[in-house]
Amino acid sequence: MIESMANWFLSLTWFPQMELASVKLLSVLLVGAGLFAFIAVNAIVLVYVERKVSAFMQVRLGPMRVGPYGTLQTVADALKLLLKEDIIPTLADSILFRVGPFIILISAIVAFAAIPFSPTVTAADMSIGLYYIVSISSIVVVGIVMSGWASNNKWSLYGAMRSAAQIVSYEIPVGLTLLAVVAMAGSLNMNEIIIAQGGSSNLFHWIPLPLPNWYMFNNPFLFIAFFMYIIGATAEINRTPFDLPESESELVAGFMTEYSGIRWALFFLSEYANFTLVAFLTAVVFMGGWQSPFETIFAAKTSLLVLLALALAWTGYVKTKANRLSIYPLAIIGLSTIAAWLFPGFAIWITEPGLFWIAMKVLSLIFLLMWFRWTFPRLRVDQLMYVSWKVLMPIALFNLIGVATWMWLTGEIQF
Amino acid sequence: MGRLHTEEMILNMGPQHPSTHGVLRLKLITDGEIVSHVEPVIGYLHRSFEKHAENLEYQMVSPFVDRADYIAAMNNGHAYAIAVEKMLGIELPPRVEYIRVIMAEFQRIASHLIAVGTFGLDVGGITPFIYCMRERELILDLFEMASGARLLYNYIWIGGLAHDLPAGWVEKAYEFLDEFDFHVEEYNRILTTNKIFIERTADVGVLPVEVAINYGVTGPNLRGSGIPFDVRKNQPYSFYDRFEWKVPVGEGAMGSVGDSWDRYMVRIEEMLESAKIIRQALDQLPAEGDVKAAIPKKIRPPKGAEIYSRYENPRGELGFYIRSDGTNIPTRVKMRSPAFSNISALNEISQGWMMSDVITILGSLDIVLGEIDR
Repeated sequence: MIESMANWFLSLTWFPQMELASVKLLSVLLVGAGLFAFIAVNAIVLVYVERKVSAFMQVRLGPMRVGPYGTLQTVADALKLLLKEDIIPTLADSILFRVGPFIILISAIVAFAAIPFSPTVTAADMSIGLYYIVSISSIVVVGIVMSGWASNNKWSLYGAMRSAAQIVSYEIPVGLTLLAVVAMAGSLNMNEIIIAQGGSSNLFHWIPLPLPNWYMFNNPFLFIAFFMYIIGATAEINRTPFDLPESESELVAGFMTEYSGIRWALFFLSEYANFTLVAFLTAVVFMGGWQSPFETIFAAKTSLLVLLALALAWTGYVKTKANRLSIYPLAIIGLSTIAAWLFPGFAIWITEPGLFWIAMKVLSLIFLLMWFRWTFPRLRVDQLMYVSWKVLMPIALFNLIGVATWMWLTGEIQF
Repeated sequence: MGRLHTEEMILNMGPQHPSTHGVLRLKLITDGEIVSHVEPVIGYLHRSFEKHAENLEYQMVSPFVDRADYIAAMNNGHAYAIAVEKMLGIELPPRVEYIRVIMAEFQRIASHLIAVGTFGLDVGGITPFIYCMRERELILDLFEMASGARLLYNYIWIGGLAHDLPAGWVEKAYEFLDEFDFHVEEYNRILTTNKIFIERTADVGVLPVEVAINYGVTGPNLRGSGIPFDVRKNQPYSFYDRFEWKVPVGEGAMGSVGDSWDRYMVRIEEMLESAKIIRQALDQLPAEGDVKAAIPKKIRPPKGAEIYSRYENPRGELGFYIRSDGTNIPTRVKMRSPAFSNISALNEISQGWMMSDVITILGSLDIVLGEIDR
């Protein structure tokens, strides 16, 4: 993307004469600014979404006062945090205290460089994209330990230590599950992993459902790997049920206890950036990234009919069970089905790869993780370690062997 | 290489901490995450209730009693009224007794809802708390209709009630009861049977029967250890002998008898039993009747009269020891607060558990600092 952007700049007639290196540098800066803007806006939107989702789960309304339906609430909160006094505790290690949040934020932003937003838009389409994301995003733990230690507060220290143990432990099963996918795709490049997930499924082709050839549906081992990855990723981004580092009822606010104002907001920003990053990574690695789930127009039309039937069944179930009419899923799927059957243009559009599909996948994953957070209690620290080392690790190793065996059986590799 | 020097750390949990249920300070001696000693430091909410009571007339004490256990104000007022009435030997109209039982049991449900909800919060689940508060609001609405207040009612007076029930109250109470069982089922689905919740609470902080009795632990905490002791059943006061209900005890369904899950479950079951009692009391409630017995304006129990009256508060056995010197001001009012005894067992049962478990155990004991410090 940097290359093409630089070439585009140079092709402009009014653009001043510059060396290619300078133009490239300019492109890099612009792309970085764009990513940062994306992350900042994304965090503001997601905080609002999270508050609304939690409110609806808890029979409340959530923010309603600032702007229509409270849409400007998080903007107002962000402004308030910007204007607050920057407090650094007297006994804190002030350099580390200041640097900590930035390390967390930078590692979260930089990881987005390798995320493909659409077939053509990837900030840096590098050959080791997946490896780069996994390694860069693990720098977060340095920042967390730094700010927890520098706060000079026992609660912060507890939070930081828990966080270090947790993130380091969960990186292993997460890495192993991703390795299974890398073995399947034969590449670490994000776009190539996505391209490998095109076409029709080779396992479930006998099922009348036209399932997409995503890696999560590719074979039973990767199907398990998908759920393991979701569990591990939830732990890596410190969200409930694995939110021990910042567990409110135990550690006050964990490593964030002593922070206030904009520094605290940076933690929030990076938390949501990491959250989105994990959703993007899951979408790319297991759910076909920017690929459309429908291979052909016929597949799109029939799948939408099946989905409509499912939505009808769900609506009926909710109606009989809770005596409540859940109209929105039915309305959305119904309208898209009608549109797909009536307007050929719409049917073609939904079979094309693009930003729309990856955004849909990412948003559903984000909703799933929010759902976890607002329904589950929290694990204890030893149970957390148990899940990682004694449950996820062995299954991940077994899965890796399973995937290799599967590839050998289906003739994808030969010995 | 020399051996790494390690030592235990003293950690002050509170008085400003989200999970200490008020202004309690726990001095934890920790070795990493493991807690080897817990020392509850109390007194941050001391308002010298007992000294105040020695300077006030009998009727003037009862609003102060409400403020001791602010989560179960109705029960405290009831307990104090019963104690003074026993000293004076007053017979109450049946309508008063029925309304008192209804109010006390509604208050028990409201208090247990807070206990269950905040226990969920302590374990990390936020949504169950909101669900519990939703039902508690309905109970508070009922209390507001009857007394005008939502937290500290001063509704149960010596010799009767402050006001009669307003029109439409009984129907609203029935409405609540019809819905309530379904809501308890909701709590069970989201919290009680949740795998993570069971992992966090089952077998954690087992309170053996001997320890419980040695420390004078009462109420749901004692019943969670398997002892079916309930003052309402063992020494019935008011009209409690007229209703059919059972005393739920901990059975160790998820772990061993007396663990945090059992104490939690006893509260869930007690809410259903309370609902049963309220339904029976509402059915038997006389339609007409006085809500105040004829008592003298100045209450002067005979000189030297003393009484210890037992009462089953949502947290355990609430006792009032009152001594009279023949004037209209008591010489001594001593309140035996259940939460004070319950929290004293904390150190014994939380040693060797992790820091998160101490919070779980504290939450399962369901303390109210207003009552501990008085």
